[in-house]
Amino acid sequence: MTATAEPEVGKARLRKEDARLITGRTRWTDNITLPGMLHLAVLRSPMAHARIVSIDTSAARDMPGVVAVLTATDLDPDGEIGMPCAWPITPDMRHPRRPVLAATEVNFAGEGVAVVAARSAAEAEDALEHIEVEYEDLPVVLDMEAALAEGAPLVHEDLGTNRSALWVFDSGEAGTGGDVEQAISDAEVKLTRRFRQQRLIPAFMEPRSTVVDPTGPQLTVWSSTQIPHILRVMTAMTLGVPEHKLRVVAPDVGGGFGGKIAVLPEEMMAALVARKLGKPVKWTESRSDAMLTAHHGRDQIQDITISATRDGMVTGLKVDLLADMGAYLGLVGPGVPLLGAFMFNAIYKIPAYRFACTNVFTNKTLTDAYRGAGRPEATFAIERMMDELAAELGMDPLELREKNWIRHDEFPFTTVAGLTYDSGNYEAATERAKQLFDYDGLRREQQARRASNDPVQLGIGISTYTEMCGLAPSRVLGSLAYGAGGWESASIRMLPTGKVEVVTGSSAHGQGHETAWSQIVADQLGVPFEDIEVLHGDTQFSPKGMDTYGSRSLAVGGTALVLAARRVLDKAKPVAAHMLECSVDDMEFTGGKFTVQGTDQSVGIQDVALAVFAAHDLPDGYEASLDSDATFDPENFSYPHGTHLCATEVDTETGRVSIRSYVCVDDVGKVVNPLIVEGQIHGGLAQGIAQALYEEAVHDESGTLTTGTFADYYLPSAADMPTFVTDRTETPSTTNPLGVKGVGEAGTIASTPAVVNSVIDAVRHMGVDDIEMPCSPMRVWQAIQGGAR
Amino acid sequence: MKSFAYVSARDVPTAVSAIAGSPNAKFLGGGTNLVDLMRGNIEQPDTIVDITRLPLTGVDLLPDGGVRIGALVRNSHLAAHPLIRSRYPVLSQAILLGASAQLRNMATVGGNLLQRTRCLYFYDTAAACNKRAPGSGCDAIGGFNRNHAILGVSDNCLATHPSDMCVALAMLDATVEVESTRGVRRIPMNEFHVLPGDTPHVETSLAADELVTAVELPSVAVAANSRYRKVRDRASYAFALVSVAAALEVTGTTVTQVRLALGGVSAKPWRATKAEEVLLGAPATEESFRQAAAAELAAATARPGNEFKIGLAERTIVAVLRELVTKGDAA
Repeated sequence: MTATAEPEVGKARLRKEDARLITGRTRWTDNITLPGMLHLAVLRSPMAHARIVSIDTSAARDMPGVVAVLTATDLDPDGEIGMPCAWPITPDMRHPRRPVLAATEVNFAGEGVAVVAARSAAEAEDALEHIEVEYEDLPVVLDMEAALAEGAPLVHEDLGTNRSALWVFDSGEAGTGGDVEQAISDAEVKLTRRFRQQRLIPAFMEPRSTVVDPTGPQLTVWSSTQIPHILRVMTAMTLGVPEHKLRVVAPDVGGGFGGKIAVLPEEMMAALVARKLGKPVKWTESRSDAMLTAHHGRDQIQDITISATRDGMVTGLKVDLLADMGAYLGLVGPGVPLLGAFMFNAIYKIPAYRFACTNVFTNKTLTDAYRGAGRPEATFAIERMMDELAAELGMDPLELREKNWIRHDEFPFTTVAGLTYDSGNYEAATERAKQLFDYDGLRREQQARRASNDPVQLGIGISTYTEMCGLAPSRVLGSLAYGAGGWESASIRMLPTGKVEVVTGSSAHGQGHETAWSQIVADQLGVPFEDIEVLHGDTQFSPKGMDTYGSRSLAVGGTALVLAARRVLDKAKPVAAHMLECSVDDMEFTGGKFTVQGTDQSVGIQDVALAVFAAHDLPDGYEASLDSDATFDPENFSYPHGTHLCATEVDTETGRVSIRSYVCVDDVGKVVNPLIVEGQIHGGLAQGIAQALYEEAVHDESGTLTTGTFADYYLPSAADMPTFVTDRTETPSTTNPLGVKGVGEAGTIASTPAVVNSVIDAVRHMGVDDIEMPCSPMRVWQAIQGGAR
Repeated sequence: MKSFAYVSARDVPTAVSAIAGSPNAKFLGGGTNLVDLMRGNIEQPDTIVDITRLPLTGVDLLPDGGVRIGALVRNSHLAAHPLIRSRYPVLSQAILLGASAQLRNMATVGGNLLQRTRCLYFYDTAAACNKRAPGSGCDAIGGFNRNHAILGVSDNCLATHPSDMCVALAMLDATVEVESTRGVRRIPMNEFHVLPGDTPHVETSLAADELVTAVELPSVAVAANSRYRKVRDRASYAFALVSVAAALEVTGTTVTQVRLALGGVSAKPWRATKAEEVLLGAPATEESFRQAAAAELAAATARPGNEFKIGLAERTIVAVLRELVTKGDAA
């Protein structure tokens, strides 16, 4: 028996793309300079709601280096162009037209009003100060409940309301469970709480940037986007550019966190200006503009009622959401709450469930996907409620969860929200987390500190989460009125020298696809890791794709890769048999070699590639190519889960919260690269902790964003983070051949409630049962001073 | 951003003559504050005199045991310097708790002294601000003033000085050396920054044509037992709500030397002389510390948004002194 190489999948390989990403010696959009290229700068409205009385661009036109100053009248004289929304969640959803540049009215502070094209970025920026815009104030509405009140000022007068849509799921009506009103009225115990998911700013590292090159009828668009393929379709539909004349490239992209799942007015603007002036143009935003105008995340008010028996069996869950859309609808913004709609019941067997969400317009930056998108909000609400219910019942919060969760022998399990969870083992993850955390020891210390009235109190927070990942089965997306499918594509090209080019429709923006995809293909084809190149993000060589978001790339795109690799082997096998002069039926394939069973006669796949290239001696009628494509559309979502335990010390004299220990045991299915998984978990935890303790986008009463810089918007740094203790259980997903589930959002989804639960647990004995996020020192201190909320 | 003329100076005489002829000229050091202010049209100089090439980068031991620090020494370099770490740990700590590593690598000692306030309304050109536009009013009074001053405030301005380094320098009785075409002048640290009064746009006693060339630290034996504590909303890149620089010597159970300064509470780094008076010769007990803190804060005036700072400053003073006693015992 020959020694087979150690499998690549599972190896903690360093990421092959990191050297160029970290040193910046690569092609970021802003690094692209084309001959004759002009630079664009956008004049933005300082007003949150105003009528545009006049715009005078004459002085700006005379500024040095300025080539053109353009407004909506120049770019879209008939007012026909509107930014796309791909998720009309209800047939009657109100969808106001969002223009490329505001023509008659601005609806949030930061909306673009005019654009300068100049020979340098500095000259374009300077000229903005010389555009005179006269505004006439309109009343501003910022609060969702105020926006829905009778007689409220309207963001869009012509709609007659600030309500965009109402979307409801009711388990009684859907036949997936009982009637929740009945369950609540029959309940021995019921609890109602209101949680606020504060507004967050995605804060990707690389600000957004677009370069457009017009050459005849052809348009080439480079953009710092998560979604080059969707951007191509949407640009074609929005501007009427024939799709085949449009090439979109996402070169290396410095992060997105959902903030770059967008079709930007600036992208459309750049294309229109490039066409109008016949010159390549570049738009790169400042950090201030990114914070003000890139879509924000979260911003929901959640009214939750949970009912249970005295002995701790949950009998019903009712969720009423208000979701702030901002001034317009983003690409998938209306659907973000729906991604949470199926997750409020989480890992629990809840017999009756109802979810209703009202999407509301306000005069603020629009909201859309942000890491986790809908699922963090849902997980926060249910995990906070489980802690509150445990307190109400006088039970240990872990015991209450265990009583209600789906046992490992009950999978596959169809939930009250109608999803079928394929696999999981909540008992194992929780047991492991408890051991690593010293749960019982910390509970004893907590008692001791309470007894001694220690100024620093200890709290323990729990989050046992699951999430739906691997977006998404196309038929499910169709049933939710989403404007596209959820498949992913892959192509494998065997080069003559045996090297391999892999083309994926996923579009990495920091995730490490090039490394992980190489590991998968190395195992499938038995070629060395180093011999594989992964290509992505250019519609010219990767024409099909659904791009990267929702922890989908590995579960969906990785699977497409496996299917394509299998096709390569199917095509190679007859050639190998021909070369070895044996029957196809006598061949076996291991470790990159086709071997005649029971002999030492073999030929490597890379040699087969050369033979196919030469095509001198192939089986009769053989089509001379090993190259293969595959498209995978998942049957189901995948369901990562885990148990996160957080111990915080709360200084009751200052309100300062410090995380003493954080243990998470995640089950993300099979792991392709443990280093990448670890990195995703760490980053996710930091982002979730940031929501719990630090970050909040705040507007003043005029609608001005007062947290528009990193000095005011408290993005935490490494100095604010504890040392994470991470571990994993591994329950393979049954919905894809790799057994993978996805890890991009797990940390963010799980950590926020774990941290907030621990803060409340630390001060519950002081009469505190809720603190609005972020639990800043000020809020915690005030909560302690005020006793109960 | 307004266009400006750019002059690069290679020596101090050239630099000071360049600014002497231009009433609206500014020196450019690390640029970590000035460039931001220019981008926001808050500072609009006609001329920028680039002083980054001036030979003011030494950190030297003086014959009397003090240390002379060149005005262009970068903050990160100063914080890491062995002379500072061993003799003035409080200064090293204060610098390292300021800004971010990237900013500290650029920011200079002279620029740190001359930082402008971080008041939101100062930065918002649509807001009223007596510091930015004298006579326009103060939107911070009655506005968002959680970060604002409680000591030495006036009816015209509530802004704080944002520096951490300066709080340590005030505690150490540093001297600022400045130069102009008229000659060299030495300004005690406590007189360098001035309170707002009726002229909040005047922030220092530096004349418009003077260049900061050096900061001198006297030999301060008690500084070996010193500490800087900064209270803020996150652990990096946040300005102090309250900070305390303190040095303490306890002989037996009696306070025999004490120095105390506060940051985040005033338009200048606040030397807490009243607290020092109470403490000197007093028993080194929690009770004395509380009395001293209360004596210093007795003159505080707060607005509804920053009332919490009075108690926070008192508790922070007590906590730092308590730590220094414990640390002193151990040593």
